Amino acid sequence: MKETSNKYLISALLLGLAFHGSSIFFTLETTYDALIHLFFADHYANSWFEPWNYEWYTGFTVQSYPPLVHQSIGLLSMIGGLKFGMFSVALIAIVLFITGTYRFSLLMTGNKTVAGYASLLAVFSSSFVETLHIFGQLPSIVGVSVLMHALPEIYLWLKTGKKWYLATSLSLIAVTVTSHHVTPIFGMVFFIFPLIGMVIMDVSREQVNSMNEVNFKLFLNTFFKLFKRIVSFGMLSLVLIIGCIFPYWLNSKANPITQVPIPHGSRDNFLEITSSGLVFFLIPWGILLVLLPYIFYRYYSKRYLFFGLSVTICTILGTGGTTSIPLKMLGETAFNILTLDRFTLWASILSIPLMGEFAYRFVEGDLKELIQEKFGAVYHRIIGGILAGLMVFMVVFTMSLNYFRPSQPQKIKMLPIVNFLNQDDHDKWRFLTLGFGDQMAWLSAQTNAMTVDGNYHSARRLPELTTRPIERLENSKFKGVAGIGSLQQFLTTPEKYNLKYIFSNDKFYDPILYFCGWQRLRQLENGIMVWERLNIPPVSSILPKEDVAKWLKIHWGIVPFLTVLIAFILNIQMLWVNMLKTRIKPLPDFLNFSVSYKKFNKTVLRITHIWSLILAIIVFYGIYLFYLKNDSQRSPENAIIAYYDALDFKEFEKAHSLIDPNNTIPIAQYMLEISVTDGLLSSYAKMDAIETEITKHNDSTVSAKVISQWITPLEKIEKVDYKTLSKRKGKWYLHPDDLKNDLPPDQLYSDNTTQYFNQGRRRITTEQTHHEDILKQPVLEVVSAKLVQYDGSYAIIGEVQNIDNVPADVILKGTLYNDDNKELATYNAKYHVKHKLMPKESSSFRINFEGIAWSRTQDSIPDTFNPDEFTPIEFEEQPTKFNLQVAGNVSGSDLYKNVVLSDININKETMNGNLFNSGIQEITIPQLLITYYDENKNMVWVDHLFVKAGVRQQRKQDFEYTILKDGKVKIINGSMKNIFVNGLPNEDISDKIVPNRILNHTNAQLQPIDHPDFSYIKIEINTYIGSPN
Amino acid sequence: MILKRTYLFILALILLSSFAVVQQNETLIKIELLSTQTEFEVGSSIVLKFSASKEEQPLLYCSNSYGSTVISSTLKNNILEFYIPENITKKIGVVNWKLLNATNPLSGQLNINPKAEVATLETYIGPPSIEAGETDYTMLVVIPTDSLDNPVPTNTLVKAKHQFLASEETNDIYTKNLISWRNMYSKKESGRMLVSSESIGINSKEFTINVMPAIPTDFKISATRPHDYADGNQITTFTTSIIKDKQNNVVSDGTFVTFFIKNKNQNILKTTGTTIDGIATSKMIHPDYEDNWNVKAYVDGMSESNSISVDYKQVIKDFDVVFSEKNRLITVGPLQSFMQQMIPDGLHVKLHIYKNNSRIETLTKTSFNGYVNFKLKSAIYNHGNYDFTIETAGISKEFKTKKLW
Repeated sequence: MKETSNKYLISALLLGLAFHGSSIFFTLETTYDALIHLFFADHYANSWFEPWNYEWYTGFTVQSYPPLVHQSIGLLSMIGGLKFGMFSVALIAIVLFITGTYRFSLLMTGNKTVAGYASLLAVFSSSFVETLHIFGQLPSIVGVSVLMHALPEIYLWLKTGKKWYLATSLSLIAVTVTSHHVTPIFGMVFFIFPLIGMVIMDVSREQVNSMNEVNFKLFLNTFFKLFKRIVSFGMLSLVLIIGCIFPYWLNSKANPITQVPIPHGSRDNFLEITSSGLVFFLIPWGILLVLLPYIFYRYYSKRYLFFGLSVTICTILGTGGTTSIPLKMLGETAFNILTLDRFTLWASILSIPLMGEFAYRFVEGDLKELIQEKFGAVYHRIIGGILAGLMVFMVVFTMSLNYFRPSQPQKIKMLPIVNFLNQDDHDKWRFLTLGFGDQMAWLSAQTNAMTVDGNYHSARRLPELTTRPIERLENSKFKGVAGIGSLQQFLTTPEKYNLKYIFSNDKFYDPILYFCGWQRLRQLENGIMVWERLNIPPVSSILPKEDVAKWLKIHWGIVPFLTVLIAFILNIQMLWVNMLKTRIKPLPDFLNFSVSYKKFNKTVLRITHIWSLILAIIVFYGIYLFYLKNDSQRSPENAIIAYYDALDFKEFEKAHSLIDPNNTIPIAQYMLEISVTDGLLSSYAKMDAIETEITKHNDSTVSAKVISQWITPLEKIEKVDYKTLSKRKGKWYLHPDDLKNDLPPDQLYSDNTTQYFNQGRRRITTEQTHHEDILKQPVLEVVSAKLVQYDGSYAIIGEVQNIDNVPADVILKGTLYNDDNKELATYNAKYHVKHKLMPKESSSFRINFEGIAWSRTQDSIPDTFNPDEFTPIEFEEQPTKFNLQVAGNVSGSDLYKNVVLSDININKETMNGNLFNSGIQEITIPQLLITYYDENKNMVWVDHLFVKAGVRQQRKQDFEYTILKDGKVKIINGSMKNIFVNGLPNEDISDKIVPNRILNHTNAQLQPIDHPDFSYIKIEINTYIGSPN
Repeated sequence: MILKRTYLFILALILLSSFAVVQQNETLIKIELLSTQTEFEVGSSIVLKFSASKEEQPLLYCSNSYGSTVISSTLKNNILEFYIPENITKKIGVVNWKLLNATNPLSGQLNINPKAEVATLETYIGPPSIEAGETDYTMLVVIPTDSLDNPVPTNTLVKAKHQFLASEETNDIYTKNLISWRNMYSKKESGRMLVSSESIGINSKEFTINVMPAIPTDFKISATRPHDYADGNQITTFTTSIIKDKQNNVVSDGTFVTFFIKNKNQNILKTTGTTIDGIATSKMIHPDYEDNWNVKAYVDGMSESNSISVDYKQVIKDFDVVFSEKNRLITVGPLQSFMQQMIPDGLHVKLHIYKNNSRIETLTKTSFNGYVNFKLKSAIYNHGNYDFTIETAGISKEFKTKKLW
């Protein structure tokens, strides 16, 4: 019999390559993982045998991820660059997946037409589309595809016992292992164990006349008969799983994943967090959901019994945190490490053969006959249309998910950043990106500069990162308190990590950068703002690394490709035979076990109908709920939420449409009123939660108390608004708020300021800066400093003055010691200092000693977000002495001082006042530094207040500050002995420049307050200008 | 018998040993140093000559402060000649040599002396900015070097030149321990000092030293304003006299001056300014109620001004309050300024709301066209009796038991 080409498979391949091959160019780069793999590939392309990578996380080993896919991309990148490599590997993965599903389906059904149908449908399987186009998990796809190729070989080895098949199956298992480590381990459980069960069934079946005669005894006997083959295969594949990526296992043992688990959407309760349910359940299942009854019916037939169990377990585990079953099945640790979406992926892949079978029976088999007979031909066509339509819809929806809900920021042009890092030795320092998403991996792949961050969280090493549930500092704003807390520590003590440059693609982080002492350098041509911190030493040229034995490096560099080579040699002949039909080969054994599709079970058809009906009801009910929730004017609550959401996302037109039309504020006026308000709350806040209390009802008017929680980079803000709403023609509208109408005195006015520009080096040269171009560090003086204890935490407070003639950037670093001069803690001043001082300007300061937040109490990370919260360091011993290192550097930026305290009223508990902006820049965030003094006018504490609203030019802004509650400040040490300015003793310097300092000069101008523990306060003002012009 | 043999053996041994000595004596010809010069000028070629031995051609070990090397010889007319390599002869200092022969190792020293010529001047100066007042200084270090980059002989003359204001000075300094240096003290005046140096006809490039003024001394302040009414809408500008240091230099631009204002409630207000040409100006918005300000400026810890007194006259003498819309709309106004004109927009009006003699809320609004409207939302303020106090421009009015419904 001449074998014909399987036209279904060929069309599946062509279709798959055309469809996926062309669309990956638009999707793959914006997926979550693809660029990470690209970064790893870049590592291999540059140093194939050296596993240590310095670029991320202050160094990590690439032996923490199986290398095959990365190495393939790396090797192909030699031809046409990294992206060429990635797309080539993706194309190979597509081919492997389609052929893999074909072979797997052929194995399962024993029918070439059915397998052809299955491979055709697999091209459009939504789980594959999602894994490739949304997640970009190339190694996972390659792994599972090769595993599917291995399954027929395993079957044949177990069935026939021919050693050749053992060799081919093991060679393919080896390739699977080197491309993805999780796939073969769980693949053993979910693919190979059921397959073994099926082989035993088949062998048993051959001994009797019909499947019904196969009983448990026979099954057990057959099992013992095949035991040797099973065990030999099992043991050998275990050896391969361990042996092929031995350095990986060694590394995981040496660096076990001891970090706090990172939340993953696949562990959510899908009913509560519907977006996770969509991405991790609905999309991967897709059309298969309709076929579930058929799939379970078929998989629970005797031959497939074990596949039935496997697909059931996968389905249940894939539901994540919806029920507590997956948690109980996997245990706490595994549940928190594994991403559960892969179980759904496997369940859907396991279902592909049956989907093909269903399609075959529906299109040209017994199901078609049954339906036509029962319901008529038209019904059959309609159902077919609906199913096909659903399938196409799922594919289109999944492909375009990134369009509707972008998971990544807009594509960033990396060239200006790469050029910046190459310029002027900028790559001698570490950098950090903010708001880049996974594109940071692409930047890392293009530059040699190192970052403290990284994008492969299993490899994190710094305790500041591993103790937090954050993947990257980069997107810390999405990770609430833990994220911003972690970021703040990096920003406050950057010299610890040699972190000098920050590339910010997200304005949200600007205030925290400014108040932590960073300054804007310039905006690159791609719109990325570069921030820089002065006084950071460059990265040392010799960096520590964890070296591994040479043979491990060689093993890691050679074995993965060797497995591919061997698998290629062993399987190529068979591949040719299968695909090109060059010669006739005996039919594989599994073809003997095909089922004849003669009579479709009527009950299954009925159940499928009922199930589809239930699904349809659920879907429509879901859509209805969605509509109720999103119809913005249906209820007053909806109107308020819609209004705040619109404001949060700056959709002012939408917000305006919710304003009472009777009020006749034109949109132009509304926009004007909204757009003139700047400040922490209106420009840098992200709404976290909103709560509305409808305080009074009548038919058409309602008043509401709106309590909204806002996250800003600096602190959490709770805002209470009172809104009135009216119902007009069945729709609820908000009444507009009054606007502030402070009229500034002048239309046009002038202001003279001294501005500074630092040339850097005057000669255009790549050599080191000439010594005459190096500016003298401005001389600062610490006027007072003391170690105090207040409210349980230790702090160094004091006053620092720039006594030079040039403006200075101030960095204060405090160290605490005990009586035995043992160092206890070191930290820098964060916001409690004016980081930029004009000549002769002084600033109060406070240095908090922050521990690595929550490192002790890992499970008590607060749910609510508060960036301002800080974890005092836990001292084992009592700090008694301190050392203060002050560094000044010339800086010409952020020297806006034209803010005036124009009114103040002191009450018992609060202090009210007005700030007036007398200059020509709009102040975005004013900060008050409030210094407390005791009755003898001794400085005892420093506090701060961020004023929520900005101050426009020549306008007033009121503030309210709550005076600290009672609490005695204990002064532990007031010795000024160990204070150093630019490395020189403070006293010597101050004696030289200000020999006759008027001590406590402005003490006469302290503001008295009525307070049991404090008698006076002093107010200093620091300003952040969001957009200087 | 045994004894005889022993004698014979000993004799033979003696004979043998004497023979060996004789053999060695025959080959011993001493290697001797022939060249006598030990002082060389840097850059000249140096050849060390030794009388040659017939069998041996030993190596010469040479070492100077940069490193060591071993050189081989050439044999010419029974004379061993060692050419000392250029990298050694180009550096001044002591060269130690040692002949590496087996028997009598010879060793010695050569001195390579600098040339009395200057090709380049290596000049360093720092710090680049110093304070006026004759106490602060910057240090000029000049290292004249010859064409081979060696320091010149001790006591080579270097002229340190500088220009400051009208004066141009040249000072003679001499090299010692390879360098020459001079501390250049500031004068009383601030300004820019240009520094250069010269040695044996070679001149350095120009260096700039900024002589910065010293810390400021006491100064005076004054206030200017468009009018003296407390309308809350004009700006008073405070100006300092030209702030100078004790040498009468104008302080550097950007010097930070803080103006403290004590108002009649003894609260401290604050405005700041930075100097330009010694004058700091600072702006302050007028208060919106009658006030008396006592203003004094400080440069923290260094100097202060006289204190001046500034008075502001009340503009709003009285205002009306109208309750309407079930007492839920309170209209304040007209608010009129000193010429009976409507007060410019933005005057703060405070409404304190009391219920049962306790304050429940304070609303602050700003005037618009001379009026302020307070709308009491029924959601927040339930039906009942309230007391109100309205406060603006330092005047307050009380309204007892107004019923809201």
